[in-house]
Amino acid sequence: MGEGKGEGGKESPVEKQNQQDAAGLAVTDFIRRRSEAGLLVTAEEIYGEFLRMGILTEKENQPAELEAFLKKTVKQNEELKEVLDGKGLSHYYSVQSMAETYARILIQREGDPLLLMAEVIRENSQRYPRPVPLNIFEDAPFELTPEQILFCLKKMADEKEYQDIEQTTTSIGTVFLYSRQYLEPDHAAMLAEWLDVGQSNNP
Amino acid sequence: MAKQGGWAGKVLRVDLSTGRISTEDTVEKYKDYLGGTGIGYKVIWDEVSPGTKPFDPANKLIFGVGPLAGTGAPCNGRTAITTLWPTCWPNPLVASGHMGGHFAAELKYAGYDAIIIEGKADRPVWLSIIDGKVEIKDARPLWGQGIRRTTLEVNQQLGPEASVAAIGQAGENLVPMSVVMNSYSHSAGGIGAIMGSKNLKAIGVRGTGSVYIAGNKEEWEKVIKLHLSLLGANNQHVVPNKPQPWAEYYSAGTRWVAARGNKWGAADPSIDTGACDPHNLNRIAYRTNNAAYFLGDRAWKYTVRGNGCASCPIRCHTMLKVPAVASKYGIPEVGQNTCAGLNFGRNFFKSFPDGPRGETAIEACMVGMHLADDLGIWCNYGQMQRDFVKIYYDGIIKNKVSEAEFKSYSWDKYEKGDPTFLFELLPRIANKEGELATALGLGTGYMLERWGIPEEDWRKDYNLVYWKMGHPKHHSNEDAGQCGVIINTIYNRDVQCHSHSNFIRNGLPIDVQKRLAAEIWGSADAVDAAGAYTPMNVYKAKMAKWSLLRKELHDCLSLCNWMGPWVASPLKERGYRGDDSIESLLYSIATGDKKSREELDKVAERIHLLHRALTIRDMGTKEMRSQHDTIPDWVFVDKSNKPPFTKGTIHMDRGDIEKGMDMFYKELGWDEATGAPLAETYQKLGLGYMIADLGKKGLLP
Repeated sequence: MGEGKGEGGKESPVEKQNQQDAAGLAVTDFIRRRSEAGLLVTAEEIYGEFLRMGILTEKENQPAELEAFLKKTVKQNEELKEVLDGKGLSHYYSVQSMAETYARILIQREGDPLLLMAEVIRENSQRYPRPVPLNIFEDAPFELTPEQILFCLKKMADEKEYQDIEQTTTSIGTVFLYSRQYLEPDHAAMLAEWLDVGQSNNP
Repeated sequence: MAKQGGWAGKVLRVDLSTGRISTEDTVEKYKDYLGGTGIGYKVIWDEVSPGTKPFDPANKLIFGVGPLAGTGAPCNGRTAITTLWPTCWPNPLVASGHMGGHFAAELKYAGYDAIIIEGKADRPVWLSIIDGKVEIKDARPLWGQGIRRTTLEVNQQLGPEASVAAIGQAGENLVPMSVVMNSYSHSAGGIGAIMGSKNLKAIGVRGTGSVYIAGNKEEWEKVIKLHLSLLGANNQHVVPNKPQPWAEYYSAGTRWVAARGNKWGAADPSIDTGACDPHNLNRIAYRTNNAAYFLGDRAWKYTVRGNGCASCPIRCHTMLKVPAVASKYGIPEVGQNTCAGLNFGRNFFKSFPDGPRGETAIEACMVGMHLADDLGIWCNYGQMQRDFVKIYYDGIIKNKVSEAEFKSYSWDKYEKGDPTFLFELLPRIANKEGELATALGLGTGYMLERWGIPEEDWRKDYNLVYWKMGHPKHHSNEDAGQCGVIINTIYNRDVQCHSHSNFIRNGLPIDVQKRLAAEIWGSADAVDAAGAYTPMNVYKAKMAKWSLLRKELHDCLSLCNWMGPWVASPLKERGYRGDDSIESLLYSIATGDKKSREELDKVAERIHLLHRALTIRDMGTKEMRSQHDTIPDWVFVDKSNKPPFTKGTIHMDRGDIEKGMDMFYKELGWDEATGAPLAETYQKLGLGYMIADLGKKGLLP
């Protein structure tokens, strides 16, 4: 990485290190800004950005070199994390601006929405514990379409591995989802009502 | 002697009967009681005899602020107003109302830590305070005006910077369910009629001074920065309500509602609230939108901005601009309030044609704010509205009022959820027109007495959430199981304690809450997951004690208990810990009176004990457990008959609660049989001077 030349046209080790450091900072900054905006970053996107910024020029093997540089940078920099999507493609984020929870949702969103919904429902049911309002899946970062959500709900009702996922509806008609593996129906219903109605009725 | 910081230095005493105006030295006379309710309770103890009634000239009204009011400490805008409470049934006892806004700061800048109002003027007056110049002025031209007009008129005399606390027609007419209000939307319930009984229409204060901070400037700024860094959204919810890039956790029920795409839609230009990373201290004010929280996402398009108290970045009062209401109802497009004030109008109705979060509900809020905040009517934390729904739909109104009066209301409009109904009801309450309005204006206890309805009927009704003595619960078992129940037994009106509920509702997963609980109260067992309550234990009693003492401390320091304490934070790098010493750090640096957290909590315990002593003295009994610290039946009822301590129910077990009260009394050094403080407790907390008098009257266990 880097194309500076030292005396006699060859890069000195110091110059090379400086260029590596500068590139590392540029990478970190770019990933951090994208993370603040709620986005993961791929090597390809970094490459495109660096071309745009003039940090790199188009060259054969450049993308592969960049990828290797990224992996090295991530290894050395605690701030940066790598996550793989379902196809094995690396995505990067900055822990300074993005939590692992959010990164995981973004990665899962690239894959099967059914798996995404199920994991979110189960995790919430176990950890907090509480049910999850159905409408959350239409908003960022999930951004599932109503058709996708309906399709997933039907699948969850039909398929064996999702039989733990159930619905409860509050007194004002809001649908919540929970996993029966972690929440009993009465408890889930009570929590849904509390979150949706009770808390605002008891300001 | 080093200059005392924090306190302004003087307590203003105004005798409206004689016109005498005098001052006292705050630190010399009241330092051991800090400020706020501390000064209030001390004055009532020393100067108001048992048996005095709220509207007697002998009753006193103490507007108290604390040493942190008017400083840069976040969330310091509170004024506590202490008096004998007009809606406390069957006998009035000491209680306090609280208002935010800018009054507290302005009073400090004028040089005062409290105003003691005594006696009764022989004609309507208002109190003018411009720094050291204090005058009792003629309020006859203001009498009969609403709060808005009064505020305008007083500001025209004192200047736009002055802060005006005024009553409306409800207070003038001695309607117990009335408020005093400052800064447009910041009210203290229950106070309006006390002022009215003294012919005191308003207090206008303009201060050009400042508050001296005794400690080191760098230290002070460091603590302020720390405090700001620990803030969540309103009610110290530390987790956003939806996933945000920076957030490890999220919870649908929190008040942290900012997100990309959630815009203050009525601002010009509109403002995107954004992701609001908690490390960005310049975006704290964007986190909360209480209109959206209560009224649904629809409210975003009507939101102009958040507003609030002096020195508070939370901005929990949402300013709404709803153009349709101007032509539809003839009221201003703009309204502003929070929580019960925001929902004042909406809460009267059982339903709306377009649902609880439709346009009509928003319009009802706008109409309610317009009327109630000008007439100066109090809701008693929504109890008036809950009572109204019950007495209408149970046919009680029809039975208790004349046929002519009943027919004079448009009940069809009411049943349809038409906000115009409020124009018929609210002015009548303020002006005591008719039996219904008069009864509602008395407050629940006196209304029930007037109409011969047993209080038991209200104590059994799950939907009314009535507690005792004319007032409702305020964050009880629905929030924090036994801790919440215990807390609600102690005061002479609804307890207004949020220490516990702020923590329970902060949005963190239960394992994180339990970890923090272990650090704060000694065991993870102090807290349960919502709806998964476990039997009583001593740590829950410690949490109840801590909650109450911190509330009392906040009411004395002028910190906002709707935000504090700050024992959890949104910061992952701190393990979501807050800092349980924030109050003592701020107090020590501001005043120069160095106190640790434990030492300051002891002062709070002294003040809390003073409240207890006043209650015992004025009730004339030490049998607090059986006669005062009572719990309504509905707390022990589950509609589906689920047993206590099963998942999905919040109802309590009587035996378990009795155990809880035993543990709580023990924590406080109060006799378990009677609930009355022991003599050694008074002695230990610096109130030994009370022992002789209480002992003589048989009020010690």
